[in-house]
Amino acid sequence: MKKGTRKVVRITTLVLITALIGVTLYFNLSSDTQIVEVGDDYIDFELETLDGDVVKVSDLLENQGVILNFWGTWCKPCREEMPDLNDLYNEFDREVEVIAVNVRESNQQINQFLSSLPEEMDFTIALDRERDVTRAYNIGPMPTTIAINQDGVVIKKQETQLSREDIVAFIEAAQE
Amino acid sequence: MALKEIKCSSCGHVNPAGTQLCQSCGKLINEDYDKKKIKDVMRYDGSAVRSKVRSQTLYDKIWNFFTSIRNGVIIIALISIAAAIGTIFPQEYFIPVGADPEQHYQEHYGTLGYLYYQLGLHNLYSSWWFLILNGLLALSIIAASIDRGVPLFKTLYKQHVKKHDSFFKRQRLYSIQETTIEDDKVSSIVSKLKKMRYKVRTDGENYMFEKGRFSRWGPYINHSGLILILFGSMLRFFPGLYIDEIIYVSEGETVAIPTTENEFYIENNRFIVENYDQEEHDVFSDALMNAVVTQNFQTDVSIYRNLNQNVVGSRPDLEKVDDYSIQVNHPYRFDGYEIFQSSFDSSQLRSMTFFLEDADGEQVGDPFVVDLRTPDETYNITDDIVIDMRAYSPDFLEIADNGTLVSQTPVPRNPAFVFEVNEQGEDPERSFIRIMGSTPITDNNEYNIRFLEAEDQVASVLTLKKDLTMPFFAVGFVIFLFGLFIGSYINHRRIWIKNDTAFKLAAHTNKNYFGLKKELNKVLESEDIEQVEDKFVIEQTKKDK
Repeated sequence: MKKGTRKVVRITTLVLITALIGVTLYFNLSSDTQIVEVGDDYIDFELETLDGDVVKVSDLLENQGVILNFWGTWCKPCREEMPDLNDLYNEFDREVEVIAVNVRESNQQINQFLSSLPEEMDFTIALDRERDVTRAYNIGPMPTTIAINQDGVVIKKQETQLSREDIVAFIEAAQE
Repeated sequence: MALKEIKCSSCGHVNPAGTQLCQSCGKLINEDYDKKKIKDVMRYDGSAVRSKVRSQTLYDKIWNFFTSIRNGVIIIALISIAAAIGTIFPQEYFIPVGADPEQHYQEHYGTLGYLYYQLGLHNLYSSWWFLILNGLLALSIIAASIDRGVPLFKTLYKQHVKKHDSFFKRQRLYSIQETTIEDDKVSSIVSKLKKMRYKVRTDGENYMFEKGRFSRWGPYINHSGLILILFGSMLRFFPGLYIDEIIYVSEGETVAIPTTENEFYIENNRFIVENYDQEEHDVFSDALMNAVVTQNFQTDVSIYRNLNQNVVGSRPDLEKVDDYSIQVNHPYRFDGYEIFQSSFDSSQLRSMTFFLEDADGEQVGDPFVVDLRTPDETYNITDDIVIDMRAYSPDFLEIADNGTLVSQTPVPRNPAFVFEVNEQGEDPERSFIRIMGSTPITDNNEYNIRFLEAEDQVASVLTLKKDLTMPFFAVGFVIFLFGLFIGSYINHRRIWIKNDTAFKLAAHTNKNYFGLKKELNKVLESEDIEQVEDKFVIEQTKKDK
């Protein structure tokens, strides 16, 4: 082989294999971690609500930011933060829409829990019976709360119980 | 810095830089070469293996690292060791579905299991470092093949028929006469060797016979097969080419088939376990007496296509595509996917049946069934008795301060209820019911709610598979075996004859000198020419003495 050809062959081989290893690693690592993170675009969804209506995120985003709160009645921090969430939702004049996405429970269970609360929850409670939305957002622990601004960008995310300050921060984030 | 061409001190032939054996006379140019490669200096007929010449730039150094057989073997050894470690404990995809891996490894394999999990060895075969090791192996195979394949190509396709006299003496098999032999004897040898499928080239009084040259490419062919296999295993990481997912679907439930973007849904109509009947099989009745042997695991499914695939979470609009009974090893196939029967789960409860008992212990009305997933809130017992379910917790943990029941998980594993018996004209009676217990809440209850039976929720566990990489593995293995075959069972044999001043003959093969000697001696014997001598045998005899 001519010296020039030799160099081309060597460099091409090295670069090609390195690139293939890189691409494979990328696919390998990215497949496990398709989690919606801060800075990502939101994933639109449409769910039935407890009241029998249908809620669609993209429709809401036309007018205001949206907070998603993934919860279950069996999850203690979820139960505890819900009254505060309702309180502040009203205090801020519902400038930001709140969707509490219940993961996989029956209406009976949800109603039973709601009836035990001192007051009525005014935000939307959506039913993710098949876990489609939970899976799409790759929700791990509950509660998980996500703030989406009007541009459809995830601005804030928290995977632990919300304090009142946290909720205020989420409402403000969704208004950005 | 260009390396100088080398003029052979013996015959004066000018050889390219890096040459080890003179291309004309076969004399050693690099003395060390012979010492390192005592076995067969003729592998590339002494022509330069590039990486062994000199390393200059960084690229060359990296390249040379991977062309080294020693480094290649180190990589293979590392992969083998890693692969072996991966079999010490089961990989994560073999542990029970839904089990928390951290707990599982600790519980079943103790501290070692904990370490195994912490080090990420439970997902060893898809770990980044195992993947890189395989990539380096591919690089090593390709680099080493190019590095040796090029000189081999030169060696095999630019052979000189005419060799220097001293070349003959250097070969392992040779026969050198004092005088020439008659031309017709030579042509007789030529035609006999031709019949043995040797290809003949001539240059004056010089002859060269060659067969099985293709076998020299054996290692390169089998390495191409390996590269194809590695390529196939790489493609498994590419999205959509390899899918291995679990579908957990309870009887009566319809779920989306993963990775189809909600295009396909599967419904579990019925799950069946059939055991062998002791009566029916006389021969096996003894064996079946003590053990239950399953004959069939089967899930009757319906497959649907979703016509409303708009947004995540939108209500699917399902159109039935097919009905099928999935049995072990009889998967349902559709759209490049296969759905296999894998296992089943009956650890959850589907429903509980209760009946009402009055103070005399008599049953009142019909038993009532509580569906544990979507329970009704009222149950009519008689015309004037209604039972209301005031509270329900699928996996009872505790009673909260405000009197509601708190669940640990949403899975119906340990249900608890508060029932209220309402009889017309009477005060409501409440009681708290759970598995193995019933506690009255109101005083002086007249009625008792008794547990009758529970029904298990049977779920079928199916595996969804799609593998578009299989053809690479199949073709790769065939090529690998083909390469191995021609490299192992076909010999590259070459014979040189020179009949100018005296008859000289030398022969070389890459393996099986014994066979070549036999073949050659048969020809020589029939022409009454002295048989070849085997240098190796001569040296052995010397040593033995």
